[in-house]
Parts: sequence; structure tokens; C-alpha cells
Amino acid sequence: MRRLEMILSRLVWFVPTMAGLVIIVFLISNVIPTDPVRVLLGENATAPQIEAMRIKLGYDQPVWVQLARHFRDIVSGNLGISIYSQRPISEDLISRLPATLELTLAAITLSVALGIPLGVISALKRNSLLDHILRVISVSGLAIAAFWLALLLQFFFAMKLGVAPLNSRIDGFGPTPVTGFMIIDSLLDWDMESLHSALSHIALPALTLALPAAATIVRFTRAGVLDVINSNHVLYQRAMGLPPGLIVWKYVLRNALISTVTQIGLIFGVLVTNAVIVETVFDWPGMGTFAVQSILQSDHKAIIGFTIWIGALIVIVNLLVDITHSFIDPRGTR
Amino acid sequence: MKRTILALLAAIAAASAPVVAGEAWAQGKYVHANNSGYDNLDPHAIFDVGRAASRINFYDGLYRWVDNPPKMIPWLAESHTASADGKTWTFKLRKGVKFHDGSEFTADDVIYSIERMLAMKKGAASLFLPIIAPGSTKAPDKYTVVFTLKEPSAIFLATVPEILVVNSKLVKKNEKDGDWGQAWLARNVASSGSYKLKRYDPAIGFVGERFKEHFAGWGPKAFDEIEFRTVLETNTRVQGMIKGDFQGTDGYLPYDQILRLKEAKNVQILEAESMRVFYFSMHNGRSLMNDVHFRKALAYAFDYDGFIKDILKGAVARNPSPNPNNLWGAPKDLKGFTYDLEKAKAELAQVKEPLRPITIGTLAGFSETEQAAALLQNGAKKIGIEIKIESAPWPVVQSRMQDRDKNYDMVPLWKSTYYVDPNNWVGELYGSRYIGTRNSSYTKDAELDKWIDEALATNDQEKRRVLYEKAATKVAEQAMGIFVYNTKWYGPYAANIGGIRFSPIGSGQDMRWAYYK
Amino acid sequence: MMPGWRRGLGRFASDRASALGLALLLALVVAAVFAPILAPFPGDVADFHTANRLRPPDAVNWLGTDRMGSDLLSRILFGARITITIAVVAVGSAVLVGVPIGLVAGYYGGWPSNLLMRVSDVFLAVPQIVLAIAIAQTLGPSIENVILALSITYWPFWARLVFAETRSLKNEVFIESAIALGASPLRVMTLHVLPNIASAIIVRTSIGMGGTILTAAALGFLGLGAPPPTPEWGRMIAESREFLPEAWWYATVPGVAIFMVVMGFNLLGDGLRDFLDPRIRRGAGVK
Repeated sequence: MRRLEMILSRLVWFVPTMAGLVIIVFLISNVIPTDPVRVLLGENATAPQIEAMRIKLGYDQPVWVQLARHFRDIVSGNLGISIYSQRPISEDLISRLPATLELTLAAITLSVALGIPLGVISALKRNSLLDHILRVISVSGLAIAAFWLALLLQFFFAMKLGVAPLNSRIDGFGPTPVTGFMIIDSLLDWDMESLHSALSHIALPALTLALPAAATIVRFTRAGVLDVINSNHVLYQRAMGLPPGLIVWKYVLRNALISTVTQIGLIFGVLVTNAVIVETVFDWPGMGTFAVQSILQSDHKAIIGFTIWIGALIVIVNLLVDITHSFIDPRGTR
Repeated sequence: MKRTILALLAAIAAASAPVVAGEAWAQGKYVHANNSGYDNLDPHAIFDVGRAASRINFYDGLYRWVDNPPKMIPWLAESHTASADGKTWTFKLRKGVKFHDGSEFTADDVIYSIERMLAMKKGAASLFLPIIAPGSTKAPDKYTVVFTLKEPSAIFLATVPEILVVNSKLVKKNEKDGDWGQAWLARNVASSGSYKLKRYDPAIGFVGERFKEHFAGWGPKAFDEIEFRTVLETNTRVQGMIKGDFQGTDGYLPYDQILRLKEAKNVQILEAESMRVFYFSMHNGRSLMNDVHFRKALAYAFDYDGFIKDILKGAVARNPSPNPNNLWGAPKDLKGFTYDLEKAKAELAQVKEPLRPITIGTLAGFSETEQAAALLQNGAKKIGIEIKIESAPWPVVQSRMQDRDKNYDMVPLWKSTYYVDPNNWVGELYGSRYIGTRNSSYTKDAELDKWIDEALATNDQEKRRVLYEKAATKVAEQAMGIFVYNTKWYGPYAANIGGIRFSPIGSGQDMRWAYYK
Repeated sequence: MMPGWRRGLGRFASDRASALGLALLLALVVAAVFAPILAPFPGDVADFHTANRLRPPDAVNWLGTDRMGSDLLSRILFGARITITIAVVAVGSAVLVGVPIGLVAGYYGGWPSNLLMRVSDVFLAVPQIVLAIAIAQTLGPSIENVILALSITYWPFWARLVFAETRSLKNEVFIESAIALGASPLRVMTLHVLPNIASAIIVRTSIGMGGTILTAAALGFLGLGAPPPTPEWGRMIAESREFLPEAWWYATVPGVAIFMVVMGFNLLGDGLRDFLDPRIRRGAGVK
């Protein structure tokens, strides 16, 4: 019952949150000193050309009229036309969503695969040299600028060693798009060359994204495992003579996983933040590069469109995390 | 534990190990790394140099620019005649030209294309809007087109290659709410051009497949496929060339990068004189900047040698006037300014107005503009002028330049070749008829206007040369801008590619002539 | 409270990690304050020697030179000033705006608290960097605007933090009794609530400084930070990209500088947490 209540109240708040977001971003992008119409028409445009286009696009209207139109468009699912590419923004975003999802999912997988075992080991062997090294690495992972880490990886693996490509998602255009996920699509086509290419292209950006996230997971897992180990419950089990290995896997890990799931929402936020920058460095054709380009080109409608999508994405992920959490750990339902 | 990490690294390395380079060659495929995004394929919507490849390789014009020095060759049109008053231009079209869908090209397609440009008012339309009225272009028969200009224009012929012809029947079929098929043509190609669109993703680029039935025919080894990919980062393009992922990239890289590419065995650098003048655009219509002594002080405060010899490693030639030295109409014996702080101070002493900080807008991502601005900032500081630098992406800088009040005081940038005529440079940059569009210096000088207008109204080349030389000299001597150099084109291509026909228009991206040796 | 304090203090002093953090930050402050004295070529912040471009580290230019021939070491030292300014002013103003709002909303509850939660939801729904990029781009590239963009996008975080802390404190006996004794709300908030949540604020401030430096550097990297020739670290990395892999020192030097400073703030934050807030100790009490 409480679970349902929580979900419902979140859903009810979703709409005003998004509306607020639209207003804020609309106001921000409206102060931009650049004239979108001139950007659209380019350096050869004449005054009558500009005037005609301004009226056509509604930029001659007062700000509130523009905002109202904007809401009307968004509700009807139309995010407008990008000033720069002159194509529908929703179309751009849809075509770029899989790239970003593929990258962030790969990064989450990688960070969980690295973070949880390392965190558990760090806790079990606490105060050993290994523990100290891991802690230094995990503190460092959070202090390193994502774009610089990206450059470092490019420097070593792509430029010096030449074992990884520098940028983009795949050589050429890749397999027939079905899901938009290069890895899945190449499996569907059973095209091993594409699969290989996709994997090698995603390695560096995913690693860049995964390292700070893995650092966070190591820290939480370590703390979580230590908490459980020192809890009376485990002490009791140990006193009962259960083998330590079983205790670790059965009791300790389960609890550690619960705390990690809770953190995934947080980690996802960090990942999306970093993805914006990392995609830019790797020319990854996802929503992050789209956002940075739109902002740099003062493409108002594209900026608003991106913000709505990413906002919705984060709200939905957080909701999913809360729901999952309420299942795994019914005590903690808030 | 260490082993786990090592194993992981090994796995990553293994997953990525043999990046197959050079495989593309076997299939006659050419991959080009481009510095801007191909987010729209409509030939009438875009007109910038960075996105020239889709226009040139997918579409045909009545004439076509090739080679260097640039010459215009007959293309969809075979010949033309002009009336004595310079207003009526009759083009005879080639017969039997096929569009990609097999239908035949006729005069109707030319008329639809010019009307579409005039109606959309985008891209190259600005070249024709002032001289061609909508509905004034006629087709007396299937293979003849007659343009009737509002006023004689000496540059009309030079701009004719920009009238790219679309397949009118196909586009009309895809029109929606009278949009001239804009939504459809943004993602599709309807033409008779050298390549057919095979694949397109605005986030990645496009693949073109050779149109075997193209009227101009093909060399025996022409590429079967051309792929143009967006790679925004300079270094990535260069590294990709060295690794063999790309077979070509843009020819105006910073010279540091050219030197690196020259060391790579699998890359050749083709050199050519070009017409792309690097200069500081100056807002002549604003206080202080409208004082000739102040402008001269700035022109004396720029370290031309430091910039050309050290930063650009002597890879370009000094060009003291707005007109490129290798084109007629450039003043012959013009000395130009030198870096001389004493003279700068002397000029500054004659400035009556109180000084104020000067703003320079630089082009984000074009490090040369930042470095030039920083050099000028440094020199100006030594004579007591404060300069602020603001960096912004090109579309932003451009839209500010077109607004008299929002414009920066100065902008370092290149003036590229849109058509080969001195009017493209001194005319557009300093003729008051172009204020608000391409004249971002806001210069309104009666003498200059007289010369420029006269030169536009006559077809007498010798007379025009004298006029443009006079105009360019005056602009340079009065420091209406700081003119630095004329670019050389250093086209990086894979070493085994031949047949690149560079032309300042199209920047060597017209791929129909090229082949693997 | 005293024994806990003393224990915490001892632990803080003996914790090598915190000491390292403190040392890194001291180095930053020294670099910033004494930049004109420490820098071998103080003029190189704006001066160029184009003939000396892209020199690798040697006896003259210890950390090499950049694309304009300026000494990197000197530029890094002056860059420390910018980094400190951005971190302190941006986080400081976010705290100054966010804390009072969070206090009031948490104390009174009701519709103000709901409004606060919703407004901050809106801000927190988008990655901070996206909003910051948009704002910085709108205002035009300069240090002041980077600071403004960061504070505008960062205050909701503080409001949320203080809100939650205040809410949980409000039901404590000593607050209730203060209210019962007739203390004014202002008095309760400033004299009773604030001191008790100060430690949480201080700890988060230290860690937040690190995060803010990273975000500011990212803005600089994208070209939205200070204009050239300002020696801003993120911008320096962006400039260096073109010259990789040959000019390896060019990208390395500012990157390491950012890393060390952020590391300093993070380590200090961790140490302060152990010291000030023993409830949520690192490693959950096992030492």
C-alpha cells in the first residue's frame, strides 16, 4: 500500500517538475544574446529574409506567448525544429538515445563488475596493503576530471599503443539498425566484425565513465560489508560455526548488494553528468554531444528538448530504483 | 587481485586489438573525416564551406568549378549567351541527362530549383535574391533556360554553379504543406549528381554510392563508395589519418598538424595556392574604431612575423589587402603594415577620443583565431590598449557580427571563396550594399561604394581590375581591417590516392575525379 | 561531547590521508598567494615567446611551454588563483543562499517546504553540468559567469541537505524545549539548529569544493570558462588536445594540478567527517 502511494505521489509530481524545468530552461535560453534566426539563415541572409523567418518561427511574439506555444507543442509531443540542423528535435533525440544508453549501461555494468568484488575484498582484507592501495585508487577515481581521464586513455591506448580506436561508436555505419544498440544489433545480424568493432569502440569511453562510478561502489560496498561483518547477526552466525565463506556470500554480499542498488540512482546521475563530457571527447554520437553542440550553437529548442528528455530519464531511473529497493528491502520503504 | 585487473585490461586490449585498416581500399571506398556535422542534406538550405561535400558530391549545377586557379566548366548546361545590356542570360542545357531515379532532367527542374531557392531564402539564395525576381525565370523549350536579371550583375555568371538542380518531380511528390519538400530533402537526395545516397545518419555522416549512369562519365578506377564522417576534434582526424582509418580530411588544418601528417608514410599532403584570406574584421562604425589612427595603431601592434613564421611555421604567405594575392584585383605594390610599436604609439598619440577596452570575438575550436587574438592583445597592451577576448562558436560569432550593436569590435577569421571574383572579398566586406549581411565592418564610404558599384555594373574585366585594386588599396591603407595572410591549402590524403582536383570552391572534396593508384 | 571531540581531533591529526589532503590544499593556497614570487616567468601569464613554442620540460621551463611559448609552470601557479576563487566564491554563495532557505523550510514545514522540495527537484532533475553549461553559454564566457552558473545550479543541493538535517533535528528534545521556553524561531534556528548541523555543512563543503572545481574545469574545457590568455586549468587542457601525443607534458601538467587539488578537498572532507561527524564514519568504525 505504501509502495503504491509512493509511486503515485511521484507520478503526480512528475508533471509539475517537468513544467518547472521547461520554464527554467526556456528563460535561460531566452536571454542568450544570439539571434536564433540569424544563426538559422547564415551569414548571407538579408534583412527581409530574417524578418520573414522571424515571423514564421514566432520569434516576433512576446516571451509569454512563445512560452505558451512551447508548452502546447511539448504536450502534443512536438519539440520543434532544430535551428541548426533544421530537422525535428525529437527525431534527433530518439536516434541518439540508444548510443547514450548503450554507453551508460556498459559503464554501469563495468563499474559494478569492478566495484563490488573489489569493495568486498577490500573489506575482508581490511588494513592490508591491498586495502590501502584500493582505497587510494578509489579516492583518486573521484578526484580525476572525466575529460582528462578520457584524454589519458586516448593517449595510452589509442595513440601510443594503438590497441583502441580514438573515437566514434563503430567503423563505418555498423549493422542494420534494429534496437540502435550496436552490440545487440551486430549480434542480431550475427556480424562478428561489427561486434568486434563496437566492443573496441565502446571500451575506452565506458572505462572512462566506469572508473569514478566504480570508485563510489568500492567505497559503499566496503563500508556496507564492514557494517554487516560487525553486526551481531553475523557474529551470531559465526558463533554458530557456519563456515566464513558461506557467511560472506550468503549474508554479507546480499546486504552489500542492497546498499549498491540504492546507490545506482546516484551513480546514474554521476554517469549522465560525465557522459555529457566524455561523449564530447570521444565524438560519441549520443545525447551528450547533442546537448553540448546545441548549447554552443544557441539552439534554444534543442536545449529545451534535451533537458526535458534527460530530466525525465533521471526521474524515471530514480523511481525505478526506489521501487526496486522497496522490493529488495521492504523495511526501508519510505 | 592484480591478476584480475591485468586480465581485465588484457580483455579490453583483446577486444580492440586488430583494428583493420586499409580494408576499405580494396573495395574502392573512400572515408573522409570532416570537421562539421552533416545534419542537413538539402542543397538549398546550407551554403557553408564545412558542409560542402554533400552539395558537391550529390548535386550538379549548370556549371562547375574545378581546378586551381579555378575555372568553370560546362556541366548541366552546355553553353550560355548574355544580352548586350547584361540582363538576359540564356543557358542551353545538356540533353539526355538522367536523375538517380531514371527520369530525365529538363529545364523545368532548373526553374523549380531557382524558385525553390528564392522561396526558401536560405543558403546561397542571398546571391540571387537581389537580382532575380520569383517567377521571372523562363523555359522557352525543354532544354533552354532564360534568367532575366533586375539589374546587370558582373558576378552573376560566377555564382551560377551555386544553382544546384534538384529532381523537381520527385521533390514535389514529397512536399508537405507547401514546404518545398524541405523536411524530406533534409534527409534524402533527389538529383542527377555523381553519387547516390546510400546511408545517412545526421549524427555520423553519409555514405554515397557511385551513380554509374552519370552524364559526365567515370574514370576507370573511380571510388565506388564515398563516406563522409563527422569528426569534430582536430587531433582525432589527424590521428585517424595516420592510423589509416580515414583517407582524407580538410585541407585547412593548423600547420602543426600538417607537419605531423607529413611524417606519416601513408599520408600525402597536396599543396595548392588557395583563396582564403585571414584577417581581423574591424567594426568601423563604432566610436574609437572609426578613428583611422586608432585602427592603424592596432595594425602596427600585431606581430605578423611571430604569427606567420613561428606559429604557422611559414606555411602561409603574407597578404596585405583584403583581396587574395593570387587573384586579379589584388593591389600589386602594396607594402602593408609591419609590427612596429613605435609607429603604433605615434598613431595612438593622434587619437583624440578617450580609450576604452576593445573586444575581440574568437571562433571556438579554431585555435588559430585564439592565438592571433592573443598576439594582438599582447601587442596592444604594450602601447596601452586593453583588449578583451571572448570565444564563441562560429554560428554565434556570425550572428553577432550581423548586428551592428551586438558585433564585437574585432573578429579574426577567414574570408573563403564562395565565387571567384574580387567582389567576394573587398566588395562584400566593405561595400555598404552588403551591410547587415556580409559587410560586418559596417564601412560606409562613398568612394569605396562608387568603385564597387561601378565594378558590379560592367563586364569590362580591365576596368573592373583597376577599380578593385583601388578599393583594396584604400581599405588596406586605412586599416579598415588587419589583413594577415592568404591560406595555402594542404590537403591530407592517403598516399595511394590520386586524381584529387582541388578547387578553392569545394576545398578538394569533389570526389568524382579521385581514385586509388 | 568533549571526549568525542578529543578523540576525533586525535584521529584527524594522526590520519595520514587527511594530513595529505591538508598539505595539498596548503600547497594550493601557497601557490595562489605567492604566484608572482614562485613563478619563474611571472610575465608569461600574458606574454608570449612564439619562438619557444611547445618545448618539453627542461632546465629553463621546468614543466615545458605551451602553444604560445609561455612557461607552463608559471601559468599553472597563476591558475591556482582562479581555481581557488571559483571554488570558494561559487560554493560559498551556494551555501549562503541554500542554507537559510533549507533552514526556514525545514523548520516551518508545510507549503514552504513542499515548494522548496519541488523547486530543488526541478534543478536536481538535470545534471548540474548541463544547466551550468547552458547558463554559462547564455551569460558569455568569463570567470564571473562560471561562478554565477555554478552557484545557481548548486544552491538547491544545500537547501536539500539543510532541510533534511533540520527536519530530523526539530523533533529533538532540546529544540522542543527551547521552543517551549519561548525562544523566537530566528533564535532557535541560528543558536540551536545551525550549530548542530554545522558539521554536516562543513564536511559537504569540502567535498563540494572538489566537485565544483571539476565542473568548472569541464566548463573551461568546453570553452565556456575564462577567455584566453587566462591560465585556467580546464582551458589549458582543451588547448593541449591538438598537440597530443607529442606534447605530452602540455595536457599532463594542468590535469595533474586539477587532480591534486580535488584530491586534497576530498581527503580533507573525509577526514573532517571522521572528526566532526562520528555518526557516519568512514569504514563504519573499524580501524
